[in-house]
Amino acid sequence: MAEPLHSSQPKIFPVKPKQKPKPRTQNQTPESKYWSSFKNTQIQNLISVPSLTFSPSSPHPFAAAHSATVSIYKPQNDPLDSPTTTITSFKDVVSSLSFRSDGRLLAAGDLSGLVQVFDVGGGSAAARSALRRLRSHVRPVRFVHYPKLQRLRVISAGDDALVKVWDVAAGDSPVMELRGHRDYVRCGDSSPVDADTFITGSYDHTVKLWDVRVGDSKPAIEVNHGNPVEDVVFLPAGGMVATAGGNSVKFWDLISGGKLVCSMEGHNKTVTSLCIGRIGSGSDEELNQFRVLSVGLDGYMKVFDYSSMKVTHSMRFPAPLLSVAYSPDCKTRVIGTSNGIIYVGKRKIKEEEIEGRVSEKSLFWRIRPLEHTQKKVFRPSHFRYFQRGQGEKPSEGDYLIMRPKKEKLGEHDKLLKNFRHGEALVSVLEGKNPGNVLAVMEELVSRKKLMVCVSNLDAEKLELLLVFLRKYCTVPRYSGLLMGLARKVLKMRVDEIRGSEALKAHIQNLKRSIEEEIKIQQSLQEIQGIISPLLKIAGRR
Amino acid sequence: MIKGGQNYVSSPPAFSNDGNRVLVCTGNTVSIFSSSTGLQVSSLEGHTAPVTSVVVVPATDILCYCWTSSFDGTVRYWDFSVPETVKKLDLGMPIFSMVIPSFLGSPEENNAKTANVFAYVSVHDGKAWQIRKCSLTNYRKVGKLVLKETERPEPLIISPSGKFLGIKHKRKLHIWKLPRVESDVAVAKKITLHHTKTITVLAFHPTERTVAAGDVTGRMLIWRGFGTQKFLDHSGSNNRISMNDGEDKHGVRQNDDAESCSVWHWHSAGVCLLSFSPDGAYLYSGGTEGVLVLWQLDSGKKKFLPRIGSPLLYFIESPDPSLSLISCADNQIHMLKTPSMEIIKSISGIKPPLSYQEICESFSGKAAFDCTSGLVAVQTENYGIQFYSLLANRGVYEVQVCERNHQPADEVTVAVTLVELSVDGSIMGTVEIKLPEEGVGGLVSLKFWDLDSDTKRFSVSTVIYEPHRDAHISAIAFHPTHRMAVSSSYGGDFKIWVCKEGDIQQKGQALQNSGWMCHAVGSYKNKAMRAATFSADGSVLAVAADTVITLWDPDKNVLMAVVGETPTPIVSLAFAGKSEYLLSVSHGLKPRLSVWSMSKLAMAWSYRLQIEAVSPAIDSSYFAILALLPESNERAFKGNGIILLFNATDPVPVASMSVTKAKGGGLAFLKGDLSERAVIDGKTSQTLLVYINGDREYVIFDPYDKEGHELSIIRQDVPLEETGQFGYSSIYGELPKFDLQKDKTASVISTASERPWETIFTGSTHMLPPLTKLCSVFLESLLEKRTALAE
Repeated sequence: MAEPLHSSQPKIFPVKPKQKPKPRTQNQTPESKYWSSFKNTQIQNLISVPSLTFSPSSPHPFAAAHSATVSIYKPQNDPLDSPTTTITSFKDVVSSLSFRSDGRLLAAGDLSGLVQVFDVGGGSAAARSALRRLRSHVRPVRFVHYPKLQRLRVISAGDDALVKVWDVAAGDSPVMELRGHRDYVRCGDSSPVDADTFITGSYDHTVKLWDVRVGDSKPAIEVNHGNPVEDVVFLPAGGMVATAGGNSVKFWDLISGGKLVCSMEGHNKTVTSLCIGRIGSGSDEELNQFRVLSVGLDGYMKVFDYSSMKVTHSMRFPAPLLSVAYSPDCKTRVIGTSNGIIYVGKRKIKEEEIEGRVSEKSLFWRIRPLEHTQKKVFRPSHFRYFQRGQGEKPSEGDYLIMRPKKEKLGEHDKLLKNFRHGEALVSVLEGKNPGNVLAVMEELVSRKKLMVCVSNLDAEKLELLLVFLRKYCTVPRYSGLLMGLARKVLKMRVDEIRGSEALKAHIQNLKRSIEEEIKIQQSLQEIQGIISPLLKIAGRR
Repeated sequence: MIKGGQNYVSSPPAFSNDGNRVLVCTGNTVSIFSSSTGLQVSSLEGHTAPVTSVVVVPATDILCYCWTSSFDGTVRYWDFSVPETVKKLDLGMPIFSMVIPSFLGSPEENNAKTANVFAYVSVHDGKAWQIRKCSLTNYRKVGKLVLKETERPEPLIISPSGKFLGIKHKRKLHIWKLPRVESDVAVAKKITLHHTKTITVLAFHPTERTVAAGDVTGRMLIWRGFGTQKFLDHSGSNNRISMNDGEDKHGVRQNDDAESCSVWHWHSAGVCLLSFSPDGAYLYSGGTEGVLVLWQLDSGKKKFLPRIGSPLLYFIESPDPSLSLISCADNQIHMLKTPSMEIIKSISGIKPPLSYQEICESFSGKAAFDCTSGLVAVQTENYGIQFYSLLANRGVYEVQVCERNHQPADEVTVAVTLVELSVDGSIMGTVEIKLPEEGVGGLVSLKFWDLDSDTKRFSVSTVIYEPHRDAHISAIAFHPTHRMAVSSSYGGDFKIWVCKEGDIQQKGQALQNSGWMCHAVGSYKNKAMRAATFSADGSVLAVAADTVITLWDPDKNVLMAVVGETPTPIVSLAFAGKSEYLLSVSHGLKPRLSVWSMSKLAMAWSYRLQIEAVSPAIDSSYFAILALLPESNERAFKGNGIILLFNATDPVPVASMSVTKAKGGGLAFLKGDLSERAVIDGKTSQTLLVYINGDREYVIFDPYDKEGHELSIIRQDVPLEETGQFGYSSIYGELPKFDLQKDKTASVISTASERPWETIFTGSTHMLPPLTKLCSVFLESLLEKRTALAE
């Protein structure tokens, strides 16, 4: 049939719930969808978590510092409650952690001023005692860092305002001591493109870029954040840094000598930690996939797209947040809070993403299946012979004749179509979707069958209806119909309700929820009474 | 003058002999449609009153003759291929129905009788409707013989064999066996079959002596072997005795002359349509609930075509066995592919006015006009809006306002009460209401629709549930330039709605973000507001609050002035074009048309007239009104309404025309370039006025032109003819030409692309067209080919 069907072809209209008003700004952009696709689990019963870090090597375990303990978790484990490794050889609260670039060593600094290096590659027994104990800081160490492109050195800094560079292999004394900060040094990061440069941020409001090749304690670049700097992070291209301090996150261009690029003022309280997040949606490694994740004491985690200078996602947690980390494989996001809960967000990776990864890595495995693709010729003795070709995919030039798409009908639609009104009502009441229930009720009203249905419900189904009424009759969107219906139900089924205790209980609940709603309405009216004269006055001006 | 919007389903249509044309009675004319495209091809004009029946003379494909009868008392013989009248007979009495038995039946009988063709007609002699006979070949006057008198006109039904004639009359069927040789005096024998309910329709079996009848309760009765005693007079008396035993006569009442009577019941409401399939194995039935049912006669098995959405009226088989048509009460004729029961095309007339006008006070059956593109939007019974092209005189498309299936037999609980189009025709507003059941679940919803610039169709943009709480909406008006609308309600407030566009740079999101939002709410002393309108430049919004007119600034929502007081509530408001005058219409005991001057804020002049519709001309100060005349005046004006054309400054009308069926009618001026397409006697006319009457027939004319020239339209869309295949060729494809030089590959390709076999066998095998139908065509084609070879 070449010609399309005429539009007057009879059609079935399924019963649909009323449309809700759409928000004028879409709340689910693809990006916020991505960030909310991380399913949160909690690690509880810790003491506040000031530092979290991911191992750069697969399978990307993460280390969390809490009190005088460091725990290493594997995000693949489920449930996450028990750490794979626990290190307890600290005398004081651990403040900062850092993995070496191969993930085998972990440096940790504590408030006693000691920096320790542990071997975490060899399992939990090996990690019990430190490989190195680097003691030189006299005040608490607040920042320990393995440079991203350097395996031999560790950078540390602390409340003595000194930044020290250690040669881990050599041991006890620092290679360099950089003086320049005038207050506690709280944070730092190393350049992702250069092995010799790193930055530190301090409570003296400054962020300084250091070059280890220059030994004279003079920073290469210095920028003033304007607030005590809580965290700094290099952006992946290496030319820019983000600094967190006060309620703002600021972005600086280092290549042009430390120019302020933009400032994000989304948080209401101090921003405590930053990390780089990536939208790992697939193969195309574009620059704009990188985001800066910031957490603050206000309990918000914000995702900032620094290429378009917009907060693209924001998420609230019920506690002040202290630290954030994002795994390099984009599967896990962890957030540490001050009340000792780690929120671990895990994302399921789609099949295709995994497949893409597998196919790149293990090419030689693919030779095997190719041998099997040789076509098997079926004989008529085999049942597959009679099904051959049925699963054939259309090739490029084929003209496809589509089977007309069948309208999908819900169970209630099918029942309504067969004029089985009562069953349709029961079937939606048993379902979960209140919108559908309302839609079916409205359809029944327009067929003048709702009252008949209600009067024919038996006691069990009546209970269902009463439960539904109690739940939803005060919802403004539904109350127009449901209030009237509730009254009718009470009038019609008064005898059954009197006879049954269970139904009576439902009615009491219904009464209570309506009373609550009335109270709310009254207080709203009071508020309106207060506001309206004000508005009138404002309107006169 | 252009006329249109006729009723297509007043009487049964007919197919031409080749099945390519459908002849439809449309008022005083017979319109000829192409069955393949569904567009009008030509029309037969000449009758002066509605045509009541069309009978096509059966012949070979080429000859196109037909007889028509009309209420004007004439019977005409047409060559509808040309089209022109060949012959005209004046019977002098209004004819309700006409059948010509001698066209039917076996061909050899036909040949013998071609000399004298008789027709049976149902005519009105001044007192009652009579069934009489008249000769069409040598007509002198209608035969004296009266077969039956009835108070109400009853359609005559002829059996496909041409031997029996039947009518239904209250609870009876009257069947005549027609004489073998017709003459003016030959008497037909008559039997009567009884039933306990009023019979609505009857149909004869094509070959057997079987008649089917449907009644108002939805039952169908099938009498087999009717008239065994009376019609088969050769069978002898012994047969009669055995029949009189009464034991064998299953279900036959009293002494009715039939062998058996069986009752089938599926329809929930009255049966309106009955038709046997040509081979006599099936029976089509349809009724008020809009479902076509196909019964297998032997087994009683059923097949359905549901959700047609309107009562079915007639079912006509075409000579092409795969095509038939059903006429529906909503003025649609659907072409049906018979084996698979699919609707393939529709001849779409303007949908009739809604039968449930009194459903609630807010109901307005008024049509909305799109003045720029010449479309009229009317509400349909199946909760939709039909867009009807005034100049092309056909339905363009429909939008479904309320997504529900319409059950014509059910009580009305949902209705589209209001439809309004913006001046440029790009926005539509509709209001639908759902009536509550015992006070529970009533709903008013307002919908705004946007015109898609590519497809030229409306799609819903915003749905607003209960825009004025539970009060009904009385009027919608659109701002002439901005995307702004106002809705007024009986609940005493009006709301101004604006459409906010999203950012244009982000195209995908902008579409989602654009929507209508409430901009302002206004009320005046809590009075019910029944009408609203914007001035031509959009700077003033006039809302009628009961008996006074309130003027508002629509942007700031500030009350600017209150004008006047009328004795009864104002129901309609309009600004007279770009002038400073505002028109108000009030109904009730003291109906009034008032013209208010906006500069003086006072009434300029007024008339005490019952006004049905007002339409201001868009760019001048003229306006037209449609006034209902008091019943005493109807004689003098030849109609119950009058259209008056005024200049707003002057209470003396410029022009007047009297019209019929003005109740529920509407008026509109058409705009600029549209009227340029319409040519009156070679000159283009600047202004065109449309008048649509209560039955939704319309006429377009130039109100300034006194003489009322005929308007002709330069039709841009010439209906393209598809050479549809039917009969033999539709099943087996075209016969190969007996041409030896012809390239063989070419023929293979052409058959492959046509693929008629893909669709023809979609039904079950036993429903394929009978071989006898195909055989003659096949042989005919062979014969023609022979002659071609001989040349």
